[in-house]
Amino acid sequence: MKNLTRRAFVGSMTGFGATTALPAFGQGPTSGAILKKAIPSTGEQIPAIGLGTWITFNVGNDERLRAARAQVMQTFFDRGGSLIDSSPMYGSSEAVIGYGLARIKNKATLFSAGKVWIVLKTLGVNQMEASRNYWGIERFDLMQVHNLLDWSTHVETLKEMKAQGRVRYIGITTSQGWRHGGLEQIMRTQPIDFVAFSYNVIDREVEERLLPLAAERGIAVIVNRPFQEGVLIERMMHHPLPPWAGEIDCANWAQFLLKFIVSHPAVTCVIPATRRVDHMEENMGAMRGRLPDAKMRRRMARYAENV
Amino acid sequence: MRSFPFTADVYFSLFETYNSAIWPAQLVAYGLGILALVLALRPRAAGGRIALAVLSIFWLWNGIAYHLLHFLQINFAAPAFAALFVLQGVLFAGYVVGGRSIFRFRTDVFGWSGLLFCLFALAAYPLLGWLAGHGWPRAGVFGVAPTPTTIFTFGMLLMLEGGAPLYLFAIPVLWSLAGGSAAVFILRIPEDVSLLVAGVVGPCMLVWKFAKNRSELRNTSHLKNTR
Repeated sequence: MKNLTRRAFVGSMTGFGATTALPAFGQGPTSGAILKKAIPSTGEQIPAIGLGTWITFNVGNDERLRAARAQVMQTFFDRGGSLIDSSPMYGSSEAVIGYGLARIKNKATLFSAGKVWIVLKTLGVNQMEASRNYWGIERFDLMQVHNLLDWSTHVETLKEMKAQGRVRYIGITTSQGWRHGGLEQIMRTQPIDFVAFSYNVIDREVEERLLPLAAERGIAVIVNRPFQEGVLIERMMHHPLPPWAGEIDCANWAQFLLKFIVSHPAVTCVIPATRRVDHMEENMGAMRGRLPDAKMRRRMARYAENV
Repeated sequence: MRSFPFTADVYFSLFETYNSAIWPAQLVAYGLGILALVLALRPRAAGGRIALAVLSIFWLWNGIAYHLLHFLQINFAAPAFAALFVLQGVLFAGYVVGGRSIFRFRTDVFGWSGLLFCLFALAAYPLLGWLAGHGWPRAGVFGVAPTPTTIFTFGMLLMLEGGAPLYLFAIPVLWSLAGGSAAVFILRIPEDVSLLVAGVVGPCMLVWKFAKNRSELRNTSHLKNTR
């Protein structure tokens, strides 16, 4: 990682508690303050681990699978989670989120992050309204243009909605590297609060331009595909954690991979997706305990590249 | 590749819901499929039109009832698939109106292959699915689900007198290759290897039959002229 000084690193951890608990084997720390990060445009703090729903929450009308996802959501909120991200592109995921929200407790901290993924203003407005109904919420905290689709039209709509108080934050997302050039242009020219793109211990291209630009422009960063859609974690799990992972309170590979991401000063939140409660518990453990500094991050990247 | 919007578990769960919702349409589909096959084995007046109408109904049903009303729940691309399936149904309906259709089983390589495709779709595909752990109701059923319907379509077209024109099997080929690849390589559904095989072998044989028929017609015409 370039240009990450210890001062910048410490400064970015504004919501991180000073106390940490000793990790229980396999789980990581389970008590102590959770890591929160500030949204630059307002200073509002949100937990650094969110919940992605691509594939995992697209379970159709299957009651058994819907109930299982509701349990995952319950665990997410019980462990201090807040930001849930979804999109009309994710099939039934939005409806499944709504199903879960209607059935679980302890969800007052929800930070709803929706997306618009369609062409034309009218269709976009209708789609966002449909999404709101699926979720069963009064308004979205964050509405993002998904994969830059018809972004110039939707950004204007989102600006209007934000001015009217119908959405609190607006943003742009992509999970495709070839769109980074276009994304950079939007980040330079549009008054967006959030941007989302892929970043993980192997795919670190965004450290060169997008992450520094987000920090410079005061744009919050949501990181998607932290595990390369499961490929990375499957590769890692065949190898033991390095002994020094304990120095940053990592008890499993999920925490190793997530702590690498959230320890970047420009990253606000990472949104791993899971369908399992035990995996959710592992993920949420990455919000507790010590985080890697710049030197340790370089060590983590080197180690991951050689696994 | 992981960038696929749903898992195999969810896919078969969708079939469970779908099969429950449309019951007993599956029985009707089997009845219509067997009728179409019998009409190819024992051709009768208007038999070809009836068989084409059956194929048309299958494709329209799959487009609307399966893709649009059910598959759309989990796949954003379902409307596009629905449009293609409906178009295929319309093409079969148009062929019925054209009045050019006679299905006839002949004891040549095309006839036997066609019969094999049809019997596979009716009997072997569900058996393979059951063996792979995808038995009723968590299975795609003949006539109301795309995979066995597509394989059956190739089989019937191989028994179409004079061969089938390209436009009549272009969409089944597209579906076989796209849907089959996703099912086999991403969702890891072993029985759907048959869809990929049908999508390669079927069109090759249909083109071969069409070309052979054209060649025979030319030769016959040439002989008549020389006499």
